[in-house]
Amino acid sequence: MGSVLAASSPPPPGSGVVQGAPGLVSAPPGFSMPSVPPPSVPGQPAGETGSPLPNPGTYEECHRKCKEVFPIQMEGVRLVVNKGLSNHFQVSHTVTLSTLAESGYRFGATYVGTQQTGPAESFPVMVGDMDNTGSLNAQVIHQLTSAVRSKIAIQTQQHKFVNWQCDMEYRGDDFTSAVTLGNPDVLLGSGIIVAHYLQSISPALALGGELVYHRRPGEEGAVTSLMGRYTGNNYVATLTLGGAGAHATYYHRANDQLQLGVEFEGSMRTQETAVSFGYQLDLPKANLLFKGSVDSNWVVGAVLEKKLLPLPLSLALGAFLNQKKNKFQCGFNVTVG
Amino acid sequence: HLADTLIQRNLQEWISTACRFATDRNDFRRNLLVNLGLFAARVWVARNLSDFDLMSPQPIT
Repeated sequence: MGSVLAASSPPPPGSGVVQGAPGLVSAPPGFSMPSVPPPSVPGQPAGETGSPLPNPGTYEECHRKCKEVFPIQMEGVRLVVNKGLSNHFQVSHTVTLSTLAESGYRFGATYVGTQQTGPAESFPVMVGDMDNTGSLNAQVIHQLTSAVRSKIAIQTQQHKFVNWQCDMEYRGDDFTSAVTLGNPDVLLGSGIIVAHYLQSISPALALGGELVYHRRPGEEGAVTSLMGRYTGNNYVATLTLGGAGAHATYYHRANDQLQLGVEFEGSMRTQETAVSFGYQLDLPKANLLFKGSVDSNWVVGAVLEKKLLPLPLSLALGAFLNQKKNKFQCGFNVTVG
Repeated sequence: HLADTLIQRNLQEWISTACRFATDRNDFRRNLLVNLGLFAARVWVARNLSDFDLMSPQPIT
């Protein structure tokens, strides 16, 4: 879930490293990860090339602003120690004690290269971590040209490769397209291809689509979905419609302290719908960040993050309560450095 | 008299449709409508929560 430092300086929206996403690693706080300029709001000046329409960002980022408002479920105790060895290299040690998941130790390393493409962007970026059983998560992101970015991600479970994927992203003046190849296996003839396209229609409106094609011996299929995003002065509304269901998010920045998010998910396949409401209270003067959420499945959750200045220490307390199933879960994180 | 009969018949039909929906075992449709209504209500709440300042000085009582 990250420290207060990461939360008070929100992670760059274009970063390919997202905390909590399966198969990907989280960037240690305080490290600059490749960022993507957020989509422009109406009235903002056009891009550098003089195009009247701004680049809309990537397809995955569209729901991210709302998702970041919600608290992340925590369980057990976690101690994270980050140590920067140089301007380009940082290591982290994570000890986890948990009753639901495996307890253990993880060692993480991050390298940021010397090819600087922007004030907060340097390439290549290599992030990896390994736990005490030998399971590895690794990611390499590199800017090949000014418009093309590539990423390779690998996940292993001990000695066995579980996930491996490669993606290429092309950023035009007013559009972004990306192709991801997941778990390709030439011998078996299996794999997954995901194609994204997002086009700015107006400075506020962006429309796009996603095509997922999967293949394995004896079976193949494709799923498509369409997406629309509207950006206002202090809000972002996004809607994704596909064969599997619908996903709508609304993000609203009420003021400097308060951000709100509402999310709707509906699946035709599982015949289930859910609505969640989340809010984030940011008080930098008090070194405090509070996130809360409540959803239609009677799950109430909250996370409190506090920087314990002048110590380089951050404390996070989280709790989730499922009223329907009578389940309670709480967690405690300490981050040093 | 004919108009009254028509109105009465329409009302009965509407009530029976509403009762059939309320007792329908297809929970997905009911949940979908309820959740869509909740989504709209919460978007309205989010758009109207702007005068919130935790760091403002407390009023002197």
